[in-house]
Amino acid sequence: MAINVFYFLVFPGLLFTAIAGAFLSWFDRKITARVQFRKGPPVFQPFYDFFKLLLVKETILPKYGSPVIFLLAPVFAVFGAVMAGVFILLPLLNITTGFRGDLIVIFYLLTIPSFSYIIGALASGNPLAAVGGSREMKLIMSYELTFLLVIAGIIMKCGQHFDLSSIIQVQQAGSPFIGSISGVLLFIVAIFCIQAKLALVPFDMPEAEAEITEGIFIEYSGAAYALIKLAKYIMFFILPAFLVALFMNGFRIEGTGILWAVLKIFAVVLIMTLIRNTNPRVKIKQAIRFFAIWMNLVAIVAIIIIAFGY
Amino acid sequence: MKEIITIISLPVFAGLLLFFLPEKFRTFKGILAIMVVAVSGYLTIVIYSSANHFCSLNELSSGQSGLNTGFGLIHDMGRYITFNCDNLSKLIVVSVSIFSFLILLYSLVYSKDGRVRNYYTYFLITLGCSYGAILSDNLLLFITFWGILGITLYKLIQSYDEESSATAKKTLILIGASDSIMIIGIAILWKITGSLSMGGISVHTSNILSVVAFLALLTGSFTKAGAFPMHTWVPDYAQYAPASSTAYLPASLDKLLGIYFLARITTGMFILNEWLTLLLLSLGVISIITAVLMALVQHNYKRLLGFHAVSQVGYMILGFGLGSMIGVAAGLFHMINNALYKSGLFLSAGSVEYRTKKQDIDDLGGLSKVMPLTFLATLIFAMSISGIPPFNGFASKWMIYQGIIDFGKGTMIANKLWVVWLGLAVLGSALTLASFVKLIGGIFLGRQRKEFEGLREVPFLMWLPMILLAACCIFLGVFATDYIVPKLFMPVSGAFQFQGLWNSSFVSLLVLISIILGILLYLAFSLKRFRTEDSFIGGEKIHDQTGYSTTEFYKTLGEFRMFSWFFRKAGEGSFDIYDQTKKYVLRLSHQLSEAHNGVLPAYIIWVFAGLIIMLLIMI
Repeated sequence: MAINVFYFLVFPGLLFTAIAGAFLSWFDRKITARVQFRKGPPVFQPFYDFFKLLLVKETILPKYGSPVIFLLAPVFAVFGAVMAGVFILLPLLNITTGFRGDLIVIFYLLTIPSFSYIIGALASGNPLAAVGGSREMKLIMSYELTFLLVIAGIIMKCGQHFDLSSIIQVQQAGSPFIGSISGVLLFIVAIFCIQAKLALVPFDMPEAEAEITEGIFIEYSGAAYALIKLAKYIMFFILPAFLVALFMNGFRIEGTGILWAVLKIFAVVLIMTLIRNTNPRVKIKQAIRFFAIWMNLVAIVAIIIIAFGY
Repeated sequence: MKEIITIISLPVFAGLLLFFLPEKFRTFKGILAIMVVAVSGYLTIVIYSSANHFCSLNELSSGQSGLNTGFGLIHDMGRYITFNCDNLSKLIVVSVSIFSFLILLYSLVYSKDGRVRNYYTYFLITLGCSYGAILSDNLLLFITFWGILGITLYKLIQSYDEESSATAKKTLILIGASDSIMIIGIAILWKITGSLSMGGISVHTSNILSVVAFLALLTGSFTKAGAFPMHTWVPDYAQYAPASSTAYLPASLDKLLGIYFLARITTGMFILNEWLTLLLLSLGVISIITAVLMALVQHNYKRLLGFHAVSQVGYMILGFGLGSMIGVAAGLFHMINNALYKSGLFLSAGSVEYRTKKQDIDDLGGLSKVMPLTFLATLIFAMSISGIPPFNGFASKWMIYQGIIDFGKGTMIANKLWVVWLGLAVLGSALTLASFVKLIGGIFLGRQRKEFEGLREVPFLMWLPMILLAACCIFLGVFATDYIVPKLFMPVSGAFQFQGLWNSSFVSLLVLISIILGILLYLAFSLKRFRTEDSFIGGEKIHDQTGYSTTEFYKTLGEFRMFSWFFRKAGEGSFDIYDQTKKYVLRLSHQLSEAHNGVLPAYIIWVFAGLIIMLLIMI
């Protein structure tokens, strides 16, 4: 019991994922700066951002909204992210414990942050936040099926097992799933899905700074916004880690394995960063069409290929 | 087992008694009704804790000579009155009691204005007949109780204008038609097996006759539970009937009964072949997706909930369609969960309507401050129905999904298509979340309207049932894997191992820890620095019209050709089996009326033509 609480709060839960995610977010910003011929922030910039919001800035509550829900939504978002992170990282780091969750659980937990942002945004009573919330919800509706098809493809690939540790074991015994045609197709689809999950360009319309001024987060400030930042850092780490577990045979925590693990995560984040720096924001309708038609089509093709054994 | 006779006859006779009391003593009638429900609820718990058994009237009435001679008037009556008390019926009977009690408690205040005449009479008769339908083993006895339920359903909707009477008529016709189809099914079953006992029949669906019998009985179950394509009365009923009636029948009791009968026919009375499994699973996912798409674009919140009452049935059908132990347990679990949150949602809808007198999401907003308890309950129901962990809706959906994944190991066509079932079920759950974001956002969150500033929370007797139902939602979710499923559902379906990994109670503890830590964080770091301000919308002034209505959220979907086609057709009633049948029947009767032209020679020709045909047949 106590050890599970430790897993949740310290390692590999809240503290670890937050720190790793903060560094990854620095990496993302640094790469973005280099792409744009800028110098970029120092390594600890994400921590400065977080602690400034938490300790220094005042928190402004909406006058005509529902302050309690407005404040609790970020907490629930952090919970969802950390819980999903624990269930992803425990098998990935090869920690055997009775406290586990399967792919469906992870899939549903990963929806909690987005859902909380929407509820929080609506609780603020701001019309721009409502626009953002509506876009976020439509985005969820469009990528949810696609993301599930990716997971279903993986489940098919390893013979109807749907817990993460057996998926990693199947890959480590054989070859990583990304080494096959279907694996490559599914990986491409999955990258776009997590791009949308993280609301990165080209799918950042819920936040769209230039038109609806951060949309769903427009009313957030101070400690509440610090929690949202925290949830975003955590998501920025666990989603690439999830892809590493699903496609790139996970981690081996020994010797050079650690270096490889770090490199795999960096590789996935690099792809995401490059996509976000070389694309414009699409309209919500284009995003729905992109996922509902093209990405689903690719995923279904991949699943058919898997059914034929490739 | 005297209890069985008592719980069936006590509510029915009490209901008939209340019928003769004048409407003036409505509160007194309500209190009397709640006492009856409490007594029969207690007796169902006695039945639940007793052993499984099978009994006929002769055993039941032994020792009571008066009863015996009364029944003895009809020859051989004891053969038809048989009851079966197994794990399944015991579980459903207790659930029926719980829902009836809570909803009746709510109705005491809600139906004070007497919108439905003789509300308590029909409420009690419904209760007695539901017990009867669930406990009876003989199919004829079953269909008798089942048929009375259709009439009380009709009487529990008030007819105040043309649309509501049309809805009442539609409900009665659809339910009545499905009942008559069921009688055909029972007749065929009797022809095949020569038995009318539900427990004693096990038919292979290998020939056309047995398939027809199965489909006929399935029609009855689907109409009662409100599944595609027989669902169309549910949204209309939800829109026009009082919220307590909807919470009582279409949301909880009809679901329990319909799914109970589905469980009986799919797991006991028939052995499904490959194609029927495929049919069941397809109808399940079609129910999920079409109904939830319709819910997305509704403006009337009661109608929106009505469509969800259809959509959720799809998950239960999926569970039973799988046919595995986990599928059956998941279907039953989802049935109980759905009855919990769906009747709760209708009760909250009723509360909102009770205070604001408005039915449209567009006219509402920002009620969370003035009706905090209703809001809290609704939020819990909404999160449960959308499958947010760790609430109960997630637990049962999770079981259904693992049932589907496990089902994918098989070799039949339906097994090969497991990705389709899984994908559409998960998509349905995402769309459910979307439409509940709209409901919660539109009614409770957002900018508070000036006209609602003086509102108060609903009376104690109205919020108590909602809070209790919400507590049940949390309880069933939190203890799902360790306690609820093994103790309540495994006795019915048979014991199985979970394929997936989900530790519901510990994760719930972590939710609690997180929320406490979050509150502490706010208190520790920024208690002094809270300031309230009006919203910032890019420097513009906020006027009364400024805003982005949540009902506009999913308008983008209508811009896609496929969806706009679907919504247009649905608006015209093309998917409504009632409207379509009505169209053809009216056209046929119109053609027949052409013959009535009032010309005497034409009638004489008809008469002679008829005579000649009869003669030809006789020769």
